[in-house]
Amino acid sequence: MEKREAAMSSWSPERKQSPVGWDSHLSRILFLLLLFVVSAQGVTSKPDTCLVSHSGNGSSISCQPPAGLPHYIPADTVYLAVEFFNLSQLPANTLQGIPNLQELHLSSNQLEDLSAKFLLPVPQLKVLDLTRNALTRLPPGLFQVSAALHTLVLKENQLKVLEASWLHSLKALRHLDLSGNQLQTLPPGLLASFTDLLILDLGNNQLETLPPDLLSGPLRLERLHLEGNRLQELGKGLLVHQPKLRYLFLNDNRLATVAAGAFRGLQKLDMLDLSNNLLTTVPEGLWMSLGKAAGNMKDGFDLSGNPWICDRKLDDLFEWLVANEDKMFFSNDTRCAGPKALKGQMLLVVARSP
Amino acid sequence: MANAEAGKIFVQKCAQCHTVEKGGKHKTGPNLWGVFGRKTGQAPGFSYTDANKNKGVIWGEETLMEYLENPKKYITGTKMTFAGLKKKSEREDLIEYLKQATSS
Repeated sequence: MEKREAAMSSWSPERKQSPVGWDSHLSRILFLLLLFVVSAQGVTSKPDTCLVSHSGNGSSISCQPPAGLPHYIPADTVYLAVEFFNLSQLPANTLQGIPNLQELHLSSNQLEDLSAKFLLPVPQLKVLDLTRNALTRLPPGLFQVSAALHTLVLKENQLKVLEASWLHSLKALRHLDLSGNQLQTLPPGLLASFTDLLILDLGNNQLETLPPDLLSGPLRLERLHLEGNRLQELGKGLLVHQPKLRYLFLNDNRLATVAAGAFRGLQKLDMLDLSNNLLTTVPEGLWMSLGKAAGNMKDGFDLSGNPWICDRKLDDLFEWLVANEDKMFFSNDTRCAGPKALKGQMLLVVARSP
Repeated sequence: MANAEAGKIFVQKCAQCHTVEKGGKHKTGPNLWGVFGRKTGQAPGFSYTDANKNKGVIWGEETLMEYLENPKKYITGTKMTFAGLKKKSEREDLIEYLKQATSS
């Protein structure tokens, strides 16, 4: 029947076609039939109950509006996602009775605070995702049984300060995401006990300086995100302890000064992003000190969006650019701001000229 | 010759968990070789959530545009902790890059 086909073909989760001029009882039956068909396919409809699945490992529960909050969570639950609700609190015993929980996703709620006992029932937790909540602090002792946690995401909360004690006991941490908060400083010894940390994301905060010992200690970082902060200088001591660093993002800061030895010892750097800073020049030998990595950058580098002064002090850099131009991102946006005669020229063009 | 600029977005935001090249390893997330034109949850050898396997759409420009804006909204119950790319232009650039990098 024509009307029914039209309703089915143009059905979308956002719109409900109201069939015009039909017996309302019949139309209700057909609508329910339509819902049944679509939900049986499980394709585009937003479920109004939590998604539950079972496997050999245990149960997985995912809840998002329009579904409600989960009423019953089986004891063998290994994965729990409760996201996009407006929860500002969670009762301290929320995770009671699910001791095998490995992943907990609580993103996009409005959690303001967590109870210090919140994670006590789940000592096997490996992943905790708290992206997009309203946390301003973490209670001391939150992670006291979280020796298995390898991924902690606190992206886009409202952390203005961070205390090293908040992250105590996270022995297995590999990935720490603190991006998108309002951190202005970092405490000394923040990462002192992390031996396995591979990824540290501090991007898009308000950091003006970094404690010089931030990256000292036993950790062996591969990836460091510092983009989108207010850093003015890169000292020579910061990276010296991280020879395994492969990805370094310093773009979108206010860097005007990079110390001569800043990149010394970075043997494995695959990507260096210094774009959108206030760099006019760099010290002699800066690039050479990248050592083997200077020629082996697998992914590339970005120096665009800086007010480069293209004088003889940049000779080192010019030589390096010509040798590595196939790895240069945004060469079209990497231009001289001076001297006057060269204003607006691409660095690469100036570098190639005799 | 300069890099495909959008490759930078991939390295910055995706490469922690994904590789793109043929035969690339699975990391926290699946290798993405061959993803265009493939149904969700089908990269061989990766352990997906049921939610991802059952999503049932084909990955292409439109589905990826929607997905990458807010992955957790698109696939309820995904393990992906990535919050998404708000900027439309960034998503467009990334998808163009992925088209090349995962198939040629």
